[in-house]
Amino acid sequence: MATDRSKRRAWTLGVVAVAILTVLALTGGVLSGLRSAANLVVTPFNWTVNEVARPIGHLFAGAINYSDVVAQNQKLRYELGQAELKSNEDWPIQRQLQQISSELDVPYVGELHTVAAQVTTLSPTNFAATVNISKGRDSGILVGMPVVANGGLVGSIVATTPQGATVRLITDVNSSIGVTLGNGETSLVVSGRGVNNGLMATSVPLSTSLTPGTRLATNGLNGGLYPPGLPVAKVAQVSLTPGAATYNLTLRPTADLRHLLYLDVVLWEPTA
Amino acid sequence: MRRALVPALVVTLLIVAVQLTIFSSLRFDGVVVMLVWLWPLAMGLTGNTALALVTAVVAGIFFDTHATTPFGLTAIVALLLAYAASRLGREGVGDLDSAAWWVTPVLAALGGLVAPLLYIIAGTGALNFNLWRGSVLSMMIVNAIAFFVLARPAVRLARALANVGEKVHR
Repeated sequence: MATDRSKRRAWTLGVVAVAILTVLALTGGVLSGLRSAANLVVTPFNWTVNEVARPIGHLFAGAINYSDVVAQNQKLRYELGQAELKSNEDWPIQRQLQQISSELDVPYVGELHTVAAQVTTLSPTNFAATVNISKGRDSGILVGMPVVANGGLVGSIVATTPQGATVRLITDVNSSIGVTLGNGETSLVVSGRGVNNGLMATSVPLSTSLTPGTRLATNGLNGGLYPPGLPVAKVAQVSLTPGAATYNLTLRPTADLRHLLYLDVVLWEPTA
Repeated sequence: MRRALVPALVVTLLIVAVQLTIFSSLRFDGVVVMLVWLWPLAMGLTGNTALALVTAVVAGIFFDTHATTPFGLTAIVALLLAYAASRLGREGVGDLDSAAWWVTPVLAALGGLVAPLLYIIAGTGALNFNLWRGSVLSMMIVNAIAFFVLARPAVRLARALANVGEKVHR
């Protein structure tokens, strides 16, 4: 009797284990399965907290920041008008640039398709500069695709779900980008310095002509992670350690990463 | 412990949800206050080691599944904090009734101060050598201040949950 029960228990455990392993394998591995399961458990709690906290947060934020919001709205309307004006003025030049680009086969300007997405949540931790966005695999977004917004490169896609994706920002400590200086001759590697800390580049040859404000854009080298010409950063500070044979650069991202609401995912995959 | 386990797990999951939905946006000097570290520490200060360790693992693992950082690091730090706090809690240090009012907040603040360092050390062990590049000092200071402020209510809640099992048992 007891043997039957223990046999049945062993069979049940075996079947459950096989089912779990199958689910894990189908969902893309142990960690991914764990993440999915954890998401499933935490989602109702998240939803409850969100539903309770959001109206309270909005009430406080509205009461405290009302004048700021009005002023910001007016400023944005003004900037939008200015941008539209400039866009209209620049239209003939852009048209010409598009033609030249298509002839030269430059993959960025006007050629690549983008998918606009809304930022849904920020990174929950201090040790990763990431944001989650509202579009994912169903919109054609894949891991490795570059993300741009607010006038420059924002980061790249590191994880996707059918209806969402995670963007690693260029300021993340694990982010490295191949860039070129304004002259297009010097190639550097720009690394993230963590949330709110901007970017840096080390071992820059002394022969390089640099001033604060010099722009850096992706170099698009063969096998690179980004297409060429995406604006990345401006030089904020050039420092030279006494006795050293190279510069160290402190850089400020071209895109305003502190106010990300919407961004564009460039439907471009890194070349092998 | 068994009777307190279910309410403790529910509260832990709620705290993870609060961390993910509210505290990831509510930043001070760009720093996220890590409730998922404060909660196991508070549970540890009640002297209930097993419950503190369980809440540390659950809070850490569930949080880590939502972050892009190496999996398990938050849980390891939470475990270390919970264990250290429970050792103190078992000796009666940081008890809300018998100790001076500032002892619990100061212990929590110390936890908040060392937690980011522990995370970086654990990250180095996991062969991620870039974690030190962030604003470590800001993280330490902001978390220490936040832990100082939130310690007493957190320990009060933890004590109420830990007492659930004892009351039912009596």
